[in-house]
Amino acid sequence: MDSRLRSQVVFHLTGRLPDDDEAGQPLPAGLRPALLAPYRQLESIRHDFPVVLAAGAGEYVVSLSAAVDGALRAAAPQGLQGEAMCKRALHVERLIREAAAGGAPRTLLQAWDEVVAGCDEAWRREMTIVRDALAVDGELAGCDARLSSRFLRHAWAVVQGEKARAARVRIDALVLRLEGILRADYARSAVAFQAANLQQTFGGTHQALFNFATMSRLLAPAASQGGLEPPRRARIEWALRTLREQGFYPAPGDPGARSAGIDDFAFDNVPAALDAYRQRLPDVLSLLKALSLAELEVEGQFVEQLHAPIFDGMQSQDFTATDLQFFPDYLVTLDSDAPGVQADLVNALASGMPTKVLLEVRDLLEEAAPGQGRFSFGMRGSQLASMAMTFGDAYVLQSTASNLLQLRDRIQRGLRHAGPALFSVYAPADGESTLPGYLASASAMQSRAFPAFSYDPGMGSDSATRFSLENNPQPDADWPLESLIYADQDLQAVTEELAFTFVDFLLADRRHSRHFAVVPRAHWGEGLISARQWLESPPADAATGLPSILAVDDADLLCRVIVDERMMRAAQRCRDAWHRLQELAGIHDSRAEALLAREKALWEQARAIEVAALAPAVTAAAQAGLAPPAVAAPLAATAEDEAAPNPDVAYIETLRCSSCNECTLASPKMFAYDQNKQAYITDLKTGSYRQLVEAAESCQVSVIHPGKPWNPDEPGLEELIERARPFL
Amino acid sequence: MSAATLCLHHFAEENYALEDYQGGVPRWCKGCGDNAILAAIQRLCRDESLRPEKTVFVSGIGCSSRLPHYMRTYGFHGIHGRALPIAEGIKLARPDLHVFVNTGDGDCCSIGAAHWIHAIRYNMNMTVLLHDNHIYGLTKKQASPTSPVGTRSNTTPRGSYLDALSPLTVTLGVQNVSFVAQAVDWIPESLFQILTAAYRHRGFSFVRILQRCPEFVGNMFEPWVHDPQRMLMLTHADGIRVSPALQKIYRNQLPHDPADINRAREIASSEDPIPVGILYRNPEVPCYEDLRGAGKLRTADQVRGALDAELDKFTVWPQ
Repeated sequence: MDSRLRSQVVFHLTGRLPDDDEAGQPLPAGLRPALLAPYRQLESIRHDFPVVLAAGAGEYVVSLSAAVDGALRAAAPQGLQGEAMCKRALHVERLIREAAAGGAPRTLLQAWDEVVAGCDEAWRREMTIVRDALAVDGELAGCDARLSSRFLRHAWAVVQGEKARAARVRIDALVLRLEGILRADYARSAVAFQAANLQQTFGGTHQALFNFATMSRLLAPAASQGGLEPPRRARIEWALRTLREQGFYPAPGDPGARSAGIDDFAFDNVPAALDAYRQRLPDVLSLLKALSLAELEVEGQFVEQLHAPIFDGMQSQDFTATDLQFFPDYLVTLDSDAPGVQADLVNALASGMPTKVLLEVRDLLEEAAPGQGRFSFGMRGSQLASMAMTFGDAYVLQSTASNLLQLRDRIQRGLRHAGPALFSVYAPADGESTLPGYLASASAMQSRAFPAFSYDPGMGSDSATRFSLENNPQPDADWPLESLIYADQDLQAVTEELAFTFVDFLLADRRHSRHFAVVPRAHWGEGLISARQWLESPPADAATGLPSILAVDDADLLCRVIVDERMMRAAQRCRDAWHRLQELAGIHDSRAEALLAREKALWEQARAIEVAALAPAVTAAAQAGLAPPAVAAPLAATAEDEAAPNPDVAYIETLRCSSCNECTLASPKMFAYDQNKQAYITDLKTGSYRQLVEAAESCQVSVIHPGKPWNPDEPGLEELIERARPFL
Repeated sequence: MSAATLCLHHFAEENYALEDYQGGVPRWCKGCGDNAILAAIQRLCRDESLRPEKTVFVSGIGCSSRLPHYMRTYGFHGIHGRALPIAEGIKLARPDLHVFVNTGDGDCCSIGAAHWIHAIRYNMNMTVLLHDNHIYGLTKKQASPTSPVGTRSNTTPRGSYLDALSPLTVTLGVQNVSFVAQAVDWIPESLFQILTAAYRHRGFSFVRILQRCPEFVGNMFEPWVHDPQRMLMLTHADGIRVSPALQKIYRNQLPHDPADINRAREIASSEDPIPVGILYRNPEVPCYEDLRGAGKLRTADQVRGALDAELDKFTVWPQ
């Protein structure tokens, strides 16, 4: 074996190069997967970040690029002047992007002003026009380790704001209508008709014109007797008091000592959130009772005997997620590396507390517990989100930080979900990756290391409707394939299809650089195969090649990097986890595929038997020069019209009766209405044939058919039979 | 309303009978088609369990407009042509009420035409029943806007000169139209089905009901009443389905998707055969009361202040 190849094999199997190997040096600085070569200057590329966490109405988050585009659409004139304005505004946007990458938090307008302040007067004037056209403002947030908590916190605050406004409308409406009941009761009472009280209801200007004592005497008899029953009055007053004094949604401008602010519902650990929830349970119970009671009272639907025992027996254990949806949600932010996070998460999701959990995942490849053995791919990270799906009623969304903007609608849907929700978001810790934050987190999703998925119990009752793998690139494939165009040694363009695999993602992680070794171009041999090929091959075939990936260094020179076996095993586990998600989404579903194969085999078998049965007839027909017989004769019409009614027997086409009352008024014993107010004949014997014929004549829609007379002794039968003829 | 309240409502839900909606004894002429409309409305109220105290029938002037008297619900017998503005006011002030409007071809299409056009555009959530008998009946036979050309009446003794106005095509031509259907009083089952669909539609549901007036234009609909083949039943999974029993009588059927407004306009133009069914339905059209934010609360003090301000404009202060 060639010594170079031997060194490479040793490295692949052990993760160490022989001491004498010249390649045994650290990875070159700035080494990154070849597919990421075009994205070196991220600040100069318009992409989703930074985002503006918008305050006010409209979209709650927009990308900086979208905000600038919107402003330019509104402000830039047509023609050359507009073109120049766009160019300058895009330059300002780029400067803001650079400033936002490492600066202190600031709003879009603050950042805009800072950047524009350094420009000359003409620029400043023009950029002020664009600034005024910006439809949104809010804090700028780059794609860094803090993004997930800032983003979720902002989205949660927006949803809580919506909730508070809706709750205030509901509470205010009920208060108003309950007050209306009490006011109406007072207005009709004897007290209200007393002279002094009547006088108060008149404007001061005209009081002297009236004699209120006389007015009181006249009105007093009209006062209601008794008014509201005492239990009802007590109920209404209690509900009013509870609604007015509740502390969850204070009235605007009412500081209220008992009122809770939005910060009182945000926590960084589960036990504290649960404590707060338990302490508030009595208030929740009272308010829920008051709401239901008030709604029944204002609708006049409260039935003392029926409803009073239900309200008396209502307990906090009876709350459903829909009931609790009225109240503020508890936002709990957890770190996936924190000890006991798994147990905390189970507690939060199973407690019945209206909670939205943000799980911040920082590390996707951890050393297994013994430390020396294999990696445990994503044990704490992606597995926690998968575990949460087993709760059934929990909304689960997993995403990398880079994809949050794209998933903003789903995030809002999760925050509005009636029940617990888990948002598992991956963003690498600052400094761990050689790539900028956006690329590091985007490549985690691209490489299936941290796929995006959502599980929405509100969408339906089965996983086909609830689970979605949308947003992942090429979800049908093991790894997404992209084209790489590079120049070879003869400066000729070469196009190659490259898969972006799990090991491509890890190449940029400083902590794992020892698992990669650069192979100088001179040593590229046939023994090197792509990581994708290695992963797709059966173990026996894979053993004949060394897995490698294409990378570029700081100078954008292409090189091959071989990967050790431990890392490749982790990639296999990553792919297996992706396969499980694919199956859940119905992609390459093994059960469905087996079922399809079985049905196809059965169908082919049946066709074969059918063809075999027809073969002699076809042969005979061919010999006789006839057309082959049809496979099946067309179905004979089986439905027969019902027998026509007997014209000798009296009947009514009840279905066509237009309820005109003629027959029922003329002969109320012979005709009656059914439950739909359409006529039918009760008993012919209760009337005469004459009455029946006259009813048929008076029927405007001619649905009464008198038939033949049943009493041969009835006088004038001949004439009646003649008159009945048109209605038979 | 919370889930708990809905559940509690359900416990207390009452079952109503047809009699619960029967008010005064109808005093329409012998054999009047309005009776069939009244019966269908009462059946609708019963089957949808509409609480009488939460239901209001508004009318203008005419034979049709007597209908609120015969319902044991709230009612407002308004002034000529003004049923729709009154109903709109009720709906704005009391969005919790089920609002029905009964109007006639004279009331709606003549003196009330301006209100009609704008009511369609406002698309407020109510069910409008146009009792169209092609004649002014209450005032003893004068030509109405929907009287066919040549109709002899007290005002047109030599026959009317103008082609009849088609309430269906007019309605389908107005912005924001959201529900248009046609029924006839002599097919009660389809009348009930259409009224049910109209009631369930959220928006301005306009149902033109061809209604016989045996007293003054007794022969107007005779050919169609006695020849089921001259009726065209519009059927669709999203429209109404003709029952098997009715299918045997009315065999002339046409599949029509109520989402197709262009086809609806073509069908609406047909006078013979008479189309029966839902011509157009679009649940996406916004309702005026939603756009105006009618949910905004008006406290007693605000109402009193606004009334005082209005009345003060006309107050003559004593010297």
